[in-house]
Amino acid sequence: MTPTRWLLLALTVVGVSILAIAVGTIPVPISAIWDAVRGTGDTQLTYVVRALRLPRVVMASLVGVGLGMSGAALQGTMRNPLAEPYLLGVSGGAAVGAVLGQAAGVGGVFLPLAAFAGAIVAVLAAFVVAHAAGARGDPRVLLMAGVVVGAFANAAIMVILANAEPNTVRNALWWMMGSVGEAAWPQIAVLLGYILIGGGALVALGREIDVLALGEEAAAGLGLNVDTAIRRVFFVASLLAAATVAAAGLVGFVGLVVPHIARALGLRKHRPLLLASALVGATLVVSADLLGRVLRPPAELPLGAVTALVGVPFFLAKLRRLT
Amino acid sequence: MSVFYFAALFSASLLGACQHSEPRDAGSVRDDFGAAVIVGAPPRRIVSLNPTTTEVLFAIGAGSRLVGRSMYDAFPESALAVPNLGAALRPNVEAIIGAKPDLVLLYASQDNRDASERLRQAGIATAALRIDSIAQFERDTRLIGRITGDSVRANMVVDSVRATLDRVRAATRSLARPTVFFHTWDRPLITIGGGSFLNELVDIAGGRNVYGDLPGPSGIVTVEDVVRRNPDYVFASPITAKNLRADPRWQALPAVRAGHVLVFDTLVVGRPSVTLGAAARSLADLLHPGAVR
Repeated sequence: MTPTRWLLLALTVVGVSILAIAVGTIPVPISAIWDAVRGTGDTQLTYVVRALRLPRVVMASLVGVGLGMSGAALQGTMRNPLAEPYLLGVSGGAAVGAVLGQAAGVGGVFLPLAAFAGAIVAVLAAFVVAHAAGARGDPRVLLMAGVVVGAFANAAIMVILANAEPNTVRNALWWMMGSVGEAAWPQIAVLLGYILIGGGALVALGREIDVLALGEEAAAGLGLNVDTAIRRVFFVASLLAAATVAAAGLVGFVGLVVPHIARALGLRKHRPLLLASALVGATLVVSADLLGRVLRPPAELPLGAVTALVGVPFFLAKLRRLT
Repeated sequence: MSVFYFAALFSASLLGACQHSEPRDAGSVRDDFGAAVIVGAPPRRIVSLNPTTTEVLFAIGAGSRLVGRSMYDAFPESALAVPNLGAALRPNVEAIIGAKPDLVLLYASQDNRDASERLRQAGIATAALRIDSIAQFERDTRLIGRITGDSVRANMVVDSVRATLDRVRAATRSLARPTVFFHTWDRPLITIGGGSFLNELVDIAGGRNVYGDLPGPSGIVTVEDVVRRNPDYVFASPITAKNLRADPRWQALPAVRAGHVLVFDTLVVGRPSVTLGAAARSLADLLHPGAVR
């Protein structure tokens, strides 16, 4: 990909973000955004931009970065174009971890770790189920295992909530539909930390993912310890997904769609592919959040619902090509 | 705002309100599901799964005949001694039948349609009553009085509530009417619409609900839209008020920045019941201190 294309990709993120800050129930003139961000413009617009729009746009872009990179790494490692954290049950497991964590009083920096613990359990469970089905090589079997694990995670959450206060239940169900509407800076800082660590680690693992993408035998032939490498990638990809779940709930299909768009840009090697996925992911989730806000105003559609509306047809098209 | 009314409002706003029908003055009347309720010999074992009907039963002197209530029915305090049968929406029908009632009062939410039919099939007189507005409270209180044979006291309760409401209305009539945002739930953000008793109470207390144009008893809204409607005051429960002041998002609302968050008493304001008069008065005291004598 040429530097010009990279620049265009980055400018798309900026452009969509500016649009997302400007458009909403209260229109903010694009010319007034910079003044509002600096706090030198109209007081009311400053509050709207600083307290409401900017946090959610930043949060949405970080969620997109995390899910996009996570999906790109999983698809490459598993050589499965349908792999992504939501469909693999990783996000569902993370949700269980986060709900249990919150019930135990875990918050702030540690909440993503509780989600991460749940995600890891889900990943292991999906692998065990797929292995027991005796078709480890078939990408569709692992997906099915992931979907089953995700359904189990959902049931587990319902069981946990059965004895919870009605208030807690409603809040938890709302959170599970995915939303960046309540974004606040402390939360964003935590997510940013995890994205920097996890994203950096994935880029560092980029070469290994390239080798894994050749297939297990070829990778072993090239001297790579395949099992260790796969585990490492899964570990980091799950951490990224878990951090987004802890911050914004379940936002599905982003990890599925984004890497395909990045590959359509002509990228094959995973370092650039991961970086492009980060940018495309940010664009996609910021756009989805914007769409959710403007489709049926003044109500807002849950972010997870919007991404599913985009992602499910995409998934079906890809599934058709696979069979 | 009690959890029950939140749940009821939420289900009503999602599923749409059911049709209304006014009771007739014959030997049988129709409840809000359109089913006949026979008015005959006064019932002796009553199950009431709605904080309002339970409170009304105590107010009209029929509280001792209660053999079951919902987990939300906590008023008056003596109601807590009545066996708790659990949920008020999608209730446990077996538990209700186990209490051997000869009358069951339900809230007329779509969630309760199935339970209502099954109780009737079990041969138990069942009345599903929608109580969202002040008029419905008056109608249902009189109706419950007729069914239980306590019409005189039921009419007294209605008259007493009405007298207080009239007094508050008269005291605030000539005053300026500040606009109000009524915060009832956080995730999702829910407020009251034109179909709620709270909308009427705000009006009687001398305010104007900025979401009075919402058709149902409640609706899901967004912080941004509240900011756009720019209310003069925010009504909130004590816990919500604390959260609002601490939440940076709500700083976008001028009323919150100006400290115009009015904390209402959830025990008085949360339900359309015998406390309606006191509720109107307490809201008026917050909006127009000293206006109601």
